[in-house]
Amino acid sequence: MLLALYTIFIYAPVEKTMGVIQKIFYIHVPSAFLAYLAFFITFIASIFYLYRKDSKWDTVAHCAVETGVIFCTIVLVTGPIWAKPVWNVWWTWDPRLTTTLILWFTYIAYLMLRRAVKENQRANLSAVFGIIGFINVPITFFSIRLWRTIHPVIITSRGLNMSGPMKFSLIITFIAFCFLFFSLLLSRIRLERLKMRFAEINEIMDEMNFKK
Amino acid sequence: MDNSIYLFAAFSITWSIIFIYIFRLFRSQKALDYQIYEIKKTLQRNIELDDSHS
Repeated sequence: MLLALYTIFIYAPVEKTMGVIQKIFYIHVPSAFLAYLAFFITFIASIFYLYRKDSKWDTVAHCAVETGVIFCTIVLVTGPIWAKPVWNVWWTWDPRLTTTLILWFTYIAYLMLRRAVKENQRANLSAVFGIIGFINVPITFFSIRLWRTIHPVIITSRGLNMSGPMKFSLIITFIAFCFLFFSLLLSRIRLERLKMRFAEINEIMDEMNFKK
Repeated sequence: MDNSIYLFAAFSITWSIIFIYIFRLFRSQKALDYQIYEIKKTLQRNIELDDSHS
């Protein structure tokens, strides 16, 4: 992460038209891709859950949504901060911005649904929601190609549309964010499994009439 | 055009979000550790009670 910060602030050149504000790009883009990855993990884990009915897949799906929402929030916060000096507005109902906001609300709804429904229905409903909700991800990703938008297109058919040092800085930041993402996701999964085991132990103790 | 304040805001908010989330995970872990400690105590008490009855 320190190397990523070094490449962002020292190695990467300052962009000519936008100036120093363009450096937000190095956290905005990896966060967006990792949010998509998290929701993809949820999608796959939800399919596996419905197929195998193994609660570990439900845990993976739930934890991936939580981590994905964190990264999607970073995208939605850094985007307007970048837009204000460049577009002169904090927010505009551009297809990319709107679809990203819908994506965020979809997965916030997923987390709220898990809290609202009863335990015996929770995993099944969440899995169905996790599969249907994923429809939003390709729509969000391709929105800048499907509709007219002011959002810049970074990945073109010729690869990454930027200079060499910028490309290098983005790759380093992306790797650092990947480490952060997977460590957060794995910690969250481990914590959730511990909680489940603890609940099981509590149930057993209740059945055995242990005096608390 | 100096936009350093926006850059500073973006980076500080990003790191705040990440650290708040890590702190939440850490707190949940602590709460769980405490509950495990309570279970251990309950089990020990029950074992001692059983021993005294037998």
